[in-house]
Amino acid sequence: MSVDLETAKLTAEIPTTRAEIAAEPLEQKMRRQRNRVISIISVIVFVAVWEAVGRFGLVSPIFLPTPSMIYQEGVMLYEQGIIQADILASTRRVLIGFGISALLAIPLGLLMGTSDVLKAIFDPILSIIRPLPALSWIPLSMLWLGIGETQKYAIVFMGSFAPLLVYVIDAVRRVDPLIIKAAKNLGAGRLQVLKEVILPGALPHILSGLKVVLAVAWTCIISAEMVGASQGLGFRIWNAKSWNNTPQVLLGMVGISVTVLTIDVLFKTVEKRLIPWERSRR
Amino acid sequence: MALIEFENVSKWFTEAGVTVHAVENFNLSINEGEFVCIVGASGCGKSTLLNMVAGFIKPSSGRILLEGEPITKIDPRCGMIFQNYALFPWKTVLGNVEFGLKMKKMPKKQRRELAREYIQMVGLTGFENHYPSELSGGMCQRVTIARALANDPKILLMDEPFAALDAMTRQVMQEELLRIVHDRNKTTLFITHSIDEALILADRIVIMSARPGRVKQDLVIDLPRPRHVSDQLTQDYLDYKNTIWESVQEEVMQNMLFAERKLA
Repeated sequence: MSVDLETAKLTAEIPTTRAEIAAEPLEQKMRRQRNRVISIISVIVFVAVWEAVGRFGLVSPIFLPTPSMIYQEGVMLYEQGIIQADILASTRRVLIGFGISALLAIPLGLLMGTSDVLKAIFDPILSIIRPLPALSWIPLSMLWLGIGETQKYAIVFMGSFAPLLVYVIDAVRRVDPLIIKAAKNLGAGRLQVLKEVILPGALPHILSGLKVVLAVAWTCIISAEMVGASQGLGFRIWNAKSWNNTPQVLLGMVGISVTVLTIDVLFKTVEKRLIPWERSRR
Repeated sequence: MALIEFENVSKWFTEAGVTVHAVENFNLSINEGEFVCIVGASGCGKSTLLNMVAGFIKPSSGRILLEGEPITKIDPRCGMIFQNYALFPWKTVLGNVEFGLKMKKMPKKQRRELAREYIQMVGLTGFENHYPSELSGGMCQRVTIARALANDPKILLMDEPFAALDAMTRQVMQEELLRIVHDRNKTTLFITHSIDEALILADRIVIMSARPGRVKQDLVIDLPRPRHVSDQLTQDYLDYKNTIWESVQEEVMQNMLFAERKLA
């Protein structure tokens, strides 16, 4: 059999080329566009009904301000530079606390996932800390660290570290043992297996864990800011409530929602770059 | 000197207080350049044997010698090819093939060059940057063969590598494998439960007994090469096939009787 013929046969064997995978069928594309239009209309209707409920006096704006009132409040706080500073403060706290948490949890999780001894050492401690809600750390952290930035990082850290560690350990355990066997068979040593096989093999699950825990980190910081802070979205909401400024309460909530969504989109972009091999599977 | 020597190799597993003898007093020697197929009923310890050669598990007694030295740990000189490919999904074809060389700390440029050579050998030039999930089963198995060979093993261990492929692809792969193995003069230990596959590929066919696995018959296959599908109609081929089939059938029957007794 000639080599050319062989290659021709092989090419026929290929189910899809990358270009084919990328191009979706026209019908599917149209359905997606249609669904997007429906989604946009849905949001518009939701906001319109909300506005109407307030305008026609069905619910008092003191309890539920209309979207336009929230918008006006937003413009005002924006012009004073307050809302931006709040978003920035909260985001910074989340990212720093969460970052420290991830920097420690990923290597420790990789080690605990691969070493039974390390797991035996840390598992009991982990299982005691894990059920504690981040909120329960607030009093102690204030006692130790006051109400400065460090205390905020600490709360985010305490709230995200244990769940993240559990996610990483689980991700490591899910790496196909056959692939690890294959790597060893090709001459990989212990450290090489960890770096070349277990880390990339666990990465997709680690990333989805990070995504879930990032949302947890946000609940931590909002709570911490409500209890003791002079800036941040949690503080803004709590402060507005004390002044019976319901539009500002809702503005703060919208602020959280928009910020978390934005970070989520950014995260997904980073994720796509970090695990390009998952592209064709989705 | 034989390349691989099984010396009274036995392996038993104890699970939930029950001891199962997978392999018992297995003796076999494989010479350099030989293509040996092990054929046997399912559950006769074929894969256990292969896993012991690769060093994934240790014999309970006896030893396996590679170039005269006992195998004590996972040894890259024994290149394993798994039925389920075991490719690294996060690595491209090129990344997979160069893996072993990277582990040896070969400089990037050099290992890339070598990897490309092996990719060409298995006919995958043009797919260097594809991920395994973008390839068909036959192509994946080509990658594993290139990956194993790039590491320059002394012996190729193949555990029913083509069992998951469709019949047409399997036939193409068998021919390709023979071409490659003869080109590179590689010794191969190949496990299969297909007598036809063994007869197309092997210089020697070793028939294993039912559990506990032992060498039941060791046949030198003296059929001309290259062998084609059309050869499957020759008298010599059919004689071999009959001999092997009768031998294997006895073992299958014994296995079934054993299972029935266990149920009763």
